[in-house]
Amino acid sequence: MWRVTGHDWVVSLLKGSIAEERVSHAYLFTGPPDVGKGTLALNLAQALNCLGEDKPCNECEACRKIFAGIHPDVRMVDLHYQALLRDETPAEQKELRINTIRSITQEAGLKPFEGRRKVFIIQDADRMTTKAANSLLKTLEEPPPHVILLLTASDTRLLLPTIASRCQVFVLRLAPAEIIEEELRLRHGLDAERASLLARLSGGRIGWAICAARDDSILKDREDTLRELAVLPKMGRLDRLDYAQRLVRKSDLMRETLELLLSWWRDLLLIRGGSPETINNLDSAASLEEDAHGYDLWDIVTFVKAIRRTQRELELNVDPRLALEVLMLDLPARSN
Amino acid sequence: MAHAFYRKWRPQTFKEVVGQEHVTQTLSNAVSSSRIVHAYLFSGPRGTGKTSTARILAKAANCLAEGGDKPCAKCAMCQAIDEGRSMDLIEIDAASHTGVDDIRDLRDKISFSPSEARFKFYIIDEVHMLSSSAFNALLKTLEEPPPHAILVLATTEPHKIPGTVLSRCQRFEFRLIPFNAMINRLQDIAGREGLEVSEAALDLIARQSTGSMRDAESLLDQLASYGGPEITLDQVQTMLGLATSQAVKELVDHLATQDVAAGLGKIGHAVADGADPRQLNNDLLSYLRGLLLMKTTDRGPANMTAEQQSELARQAAHFSLDRLVRTIKLFSRAALDVKGSTQPQLPLELAFVEAVLSEESDDVPRPTPSTGPAKGPLKIAEQRGAVTPVGTSPEPPAGRPTPEETPRDETPPESRPRLGQEATEGGLAGLLDTWSEIAANINRSNRNLAAVVRDCPPVAVEEDLVTLCARSRFHKDQLESDQAKELVGKAVGESLGQRCRIRCVLTPDTPNQGTREDDLQQLTEDPVIKAGLELGGQIGTVR
Repeated sequence: MWRVTGHDWVVSLLKGSIAEERVSHAYLFTGPPDVGKGTLALNLAQALNCLGEDKPCNECEACRKIFAGIHPDVRMVDLHYQALLRDETPAEQKELRINTIRSITQEAGLKPFEGRRKVFIIQDADRMTTKAANSLLKTLEEPPPHVILLLTASDTRLLLPTIASRCQVFVLRLAPAEIIEEELRLRHGLDAERASLLARLSGGRIGWAICAARDDSILKDREDTLRELAVLPKMGRLDRLDYAQRLVRKSDLMRETLELLLSWWRDLLLIRGGSPETINNLDSAASLEEDAHGYDLWDIVTFVKAIRRTQRELELNVDPRLALEVLMLDLPARSN
Repeated sequence: MAHAFYRKWRPQTFKEVVGQEHVTQTLSNAVSSSRIVHAYLFSGPRGTGKTSTARILAKAANCLAEGGDKPCAKCAMCQAIDEGRSMDLIEIDAASHTGVDDIRDLRDKISFSPSEARFKFYIIDEVHMLSSSAFNALLKTLEEPPPHAILVLATTEPHKIPGTVLSRCQRFEFRLIPFNAMINRLQDIAGREGLEVSEAALDLIARQSTGSMRDAESLLDQLASYGGPEITLDQVQTMLGLATSQAVKELVDHLATQDVAAGLGKIGHAVADGADPRQLNNDLLSYLRGLLLMKTTDRGPANMTAEQQSELARQAAHFSLDRLVRTIKLFSRAALDVKGSTQPQLPLELAFVEAVLSEESDDVPRPTPSTGPAKGPLKIAEQRGAVTPVGTSPEPPAGRPTPEETPRDETPPESRPRLGQEATEGGLAGLLDTWSEIAANINRSNRNLAAVVRDCPPVAVEEDLVTLCARSRFHKDQLESDQAKELVGKAVGESLGQRCRIRCVLTPDTPNQGTREDDLQQLTEDPVIKAGLELGGQIGTVR
């Protein structure tokens, strides 16, 4: 039973290849964050080592061990793993280094300990340094017969073309809201109303929906942030700069807030552009509608670009306070 | 476990290597006339056959067959190499053994004679990742290895290899595999695997893999798992997340009719139907490229039916060339917007709206090339791009014009000195286009002057008198020294093809009298200055 939601075509292909014994030695799953890449990789690792009939059965010893992360032949390679290798904290790890990848290539030479296949799951392969990525190439092309490598990344284009070309690439797409809604209701026991709300807010990212279902504070935080953001355009410049400063102090919230701001303004763009079917923040459709008509379409475009620019700048280590202040000054004035 | 297609069907003889006849023919001639040299460098894009050819060469050099084509793929030596158990074929992963010690190790062992083969054969793959000291440690060995050794270096990035290494190797460039050759090879593999693949599907696979055989074979491998009787176009599209070509065409129609709502709706539907927005962006780009070809050559891209051609021609009529180019630029930029964001379709949507908006503004005649319906900051940034030919970054730092620039930008172009402008419009335009090159030329002899020249674009060309427009008195003084006049005159003269004299005027708005009030008025409307005023600032002096 595959515990993957919304990627039926991938699952059916993988099932087919396991049944026909034409499993490839390298897979690459790409897609936006929280779309289910990691879950899919873990499920595939289970299916490859499962002892039961209907693979993965989720009940046999191998499946349970892999799910718990204690199977000796399934190695999850990510920043946490690297932190263990280097005897540091996960927060100190920014990218996957060449030594981490070398440790894989060495370990790959060993026979599986108890499973049938040795599986390496390289999470966020786009975090590999150029050196690390290059050092993976030969192993990725022709690993020892019992080894399978599963890579996840947010986009193929962030990887070396030589890496992607050695893998079977599956581009995971955002799942439709109905499927997420059903999943939330059936498997996570949410009532219909809440399931429908979360499904629509998730924008197709099942991972986010499940997190929000488990943790009420996510939804509450989102509402608080939205309320603050709604007031922004009415504030004077001084207050907005003040807001920017407050936001910088809560640095963990900063990126999320920007993401929310972006999704809000994308909705404005869609509504003002005359195509409101695919907006994300359906729960506030009314205030979006009202907001949208206060702005010129070109102003909205310009500001959406400004938000994207700010996000890029934050990645590039621009002083966050400066970047946010500029963004606050860029906020367009309402035309009526 | 079955091997992936690209390993299972790795070419075993020179003949099987697809699309690299210029390499394989030369190598196989060298083998048959016993003219194998001791060092080769194979370079070329991913999936074009570098490693495979290196292994084939190893077999050919050691093949035991008497006469006939080498490698024979039958003798004990060929088989040992095929199965990867020959002691004398040493394949080194240079990307994980990058250090000088790894190369020292190679150097120490290379002098031992081969155990059973004629030659000891080293394949150093991904050689571009060696450290520079490792490269240098390799030099002596690479130049004069023992007589029994052959080295083949393989890389996708030959520009990272030092010249001293390049000059010691015979170099072979592998090319992207031509479309037809790829189709033939795929058909061959599909036939031997017992797969039925529809022609349209094969076509799409080959186009999608952009000349890399391994990409194509991976795709075919992946599709083989569908397990139906035949691999169809539909399955390929689902797997790659492609929108139907109908959807792309309609999207272009909406662009042509400037219908934002319908366009955004179309994008939303395509994504809901399982299209990958980034892929959709790429498809749209290649479609627009077709339009561009149609517009400029009246023929459109090759391999199109007459029906598609006429359809393209119809759509091309809706776009002016200028508009088309601008649209393509917008979508190419969107295609580069890869990083992050949980909303993959946003760059596409944004580019679409922007394309339509900038087209709408096209209908209004404007004094400067690109003012658009942009308001406030953006307008300033774009105008600046139009005035000075240098420093127009793709994303101008909108919204932060420095105070000194503001007055200049707000001067309508008409009020600039117009000296003989009508006579030599062409000369001026040409000069403006090459201005950054001219500045770069000057930069070679005098850096300070080049910086000044960059800031002072020409405003008029009158026979041999070129007038530059200086923004400040400092710039003017700099330009008016004899030495500067001579240097600039020479550089400009080279560009225009005649001797030139240089004259310099100040921008008229600098010492503008009488309109000071208006200036102040305009200044306070600037968003940044307005923000400053709101924060309690005061306008001191305006320079």
